[in-house]
Amino acid sequence: MQKKRKNKQSVMYHNSSQKKFWTFSSEEHLEQLRYEANQRLRAKVLGSARDLTAFSESLFLDPLEEAVLFRHYERRLLDFCTNFKPVMPKSVVGTANMYFRRFYVNNSLMEYHPRIIMLTCAYLACKVDEFNVSSSQFVGNLQETSAGQEKALEQILEYELLLIQQLNFHLVVHNPYRPMEGFLIDLKTRYLTLENPEMLRKTADDFLNRAMLTDVGLLFSPSQIALTAVLNSASRAGINMESYLTECLGLKEDKETLSKMIDSMKRIKTLLKKYEPPNPEEVSTYKQKLERIHTEFIINTNSKRKRGYEDDDHVTKEHPVAEEEEWTDEDLECLRS
Amino acid sequence: MDDQSCPRCKTTKYRNPSLKLMVNVCGHTLCESCVEMLFVRGSGNCVQCDTPLRKSNFRVQLFEDPAVDKEVEIRKKVLKIYNKRETDFPNLRQYNDYLEQVEEIVFNLTNNIDVENTKRLMEHYQRENRDIIQRNKAKLTREQEELEELLMLEQKETEQRRLDTLQEEQRQLLAKKKKKQALLDELESSRLPAMLLLAQHKDRAAQLETQIEIQRQVVKPTIFSTGIPMGQTISLQPVVQMEEVLYRYQPLRINTYGPPVPEFEQLGRLGYLTHVRAASPQDMAGGYSSALACHRALQDAFSGVFPLQH
Repeated sequence: MQKKRKNKQSVMYHNSSQKKFWTFSSEEHLEQLRYEANQRLRAKVLGSARDLTAFSESLFLDPLEEAVLFRHYERRLLDFCTNFKPVMPKSVVGTANMYFRRFYVNNSLMEYHPRIIMLTCAYLACKVDEFNVSSSQFVGNLQETSAGQEKALEQILEYELLLIQQLNFHLVVHNPYRPMEGFLIDLKTRYLTLENPEMLRKTADDFLNRAMLTDVGLLFSPSQIALTAVLNSASRAGINMESYLTECLGLKEDKETLSKMIDSMKRIKTLLKKYEPPNPEEVSTYKQKLERIHTEFIINTNSKRKRGYEDDDHVTKEHPVAEEEEWTDEDLECLRS
Repeated sequence: MDDQSCPRCKTTKYRNPSLKLMVNVCGHTLCESCVEMLFVRGSGNCVQCDTPLRKSNFRVQLFEDPAVDKEVEIRKKVLKIYNKRETDFPNLRQYNDYLEQVEEIVFNLTNNIDVENTKRLMEHYQRENRDIIQRNKAKLTREQEELEELLMLEQKETEQRRLDTLQEEQRQLLAKKKKKQALLDELESSRLPAMLLLAQHKDRAAQLETQIEIQRQVVKPTIFSTGIPMGQTISLQPVVQMEEVLYRYQPLRINTYGPPVPEFEQLGRLGYLTHVRAASPQDMAGGYSSALACHRALQDAFSGVFPLQH
């Protein structure tokens, strides 16, 4: 038993690859990386093209446009995961989403079509998180003919290794869900001023779902995100929980850490608030552009890379993720006192 | 001898010289062929007293009275449990009482007196003294091994000594023969008077004899029977102490970037476990406990909760 617990220590966030390699210092840094990926792709296409006249600068997507498309495909990924049969555990969804995000930090959407990468991410997450579905069962969730499903499967398997390589083989993702459970347990045990911590769960869950759509997973530790979710949920219910930080987490003496924490919580909330859902019109224009680039890219560079498969609409859209755009400033109030 | 017969088939030693009588734990005899026949399935009941028996427990009868065989068997079993030694008691009196008690038990069991109570007594004793029994058993086997080793060593030594003396005798014989031959040669070829030669020869023989005697004395004692070489001076000076820096255990410290997590063992006491789902018996079979999940959740919650240094 002793040994078992020791092993657990070693798989925790504080000495994980996630902390070492996939937690970035600032949004600017992420933006920079994405910009570089975009530039690399341009240089690569222009460098290898035989017919330069076919390419003009306007043909490419700029990083902002890529971001819009990314958000669109991310929603599609989440839709796919929520409608997955058998029901996918939350941690698998979180892992898949994180893979998708990590992949496009260093790669451009124009190089690898997000349609297929997204499925590959979900497939890999199922495997890594021990959610056991067979490959045929997996593609069975696509609204496709059996021929289309087979093709999709073929592509998933083709891109799987590329994905793993691009993730730098760092496959363990720490999601904020377990930390949240931990905080709830801790609240119930130590923070008796709060009568019913269980009532915080729903809003906190919502918060985590929305956090998934932003870069917070690449900027903060899962426990910070979970704590923010819990505190935010409390403040929405009109409860100030700063005393939890000072009394239970032992920050009474350490004003510096406390203020830093409050600061990062604010940053998380601002990031969530800044999120805007992709505009359908923009998405369709950019999608056309993307398709064109992929076609041109293949013709012009004679690349052996296969295109993502034809139809974009293979993912069910029965239950779109509940959208909650209303996110007011009062969330911040709780920490301002 | 003539009264040795199998109670079942009435065969006697006279009629069947190869008759082998077997005894089981109840102390009743059966001949080998009857045992084979009755206990084909491995177990059955005694013909005379109906005690359930196993075939594997049948032993060849060694004593004229099968009851003695029974007693030996029982004693062996009892002594396996009652294996305390004199050193385990504060005084002789208690040790003697203990021995008396053992004899009492053996007697009772052999003669079927108060068997139930005696067995209960034994079980009780076994439970109470499990540690001592285990320890003494280990000691016994260890001592047995040491003894065997010692015996083997001794045997080897005697063998070696025997070989040595044999060789020595051979050599002496050879030397004597050579001397005789030399004398004959000398008598044949020398011009000196025979008397002188004879005297010389006698002298030399005496010399040889003393030489051998000396040699024998030198060779003989090399080590004491305790295995310590003779002539070795045992230093009584204290062994020089090695001055070294002792190893000091440094507990592993991991920066978790968060508040300390309560100890695994303390979770129940601190009341954490009342807030997690209790583990069902099926879960526990695999070594799971609700504390494991609880601890993991807390560790995950506190790991990295403080701002990271970039």
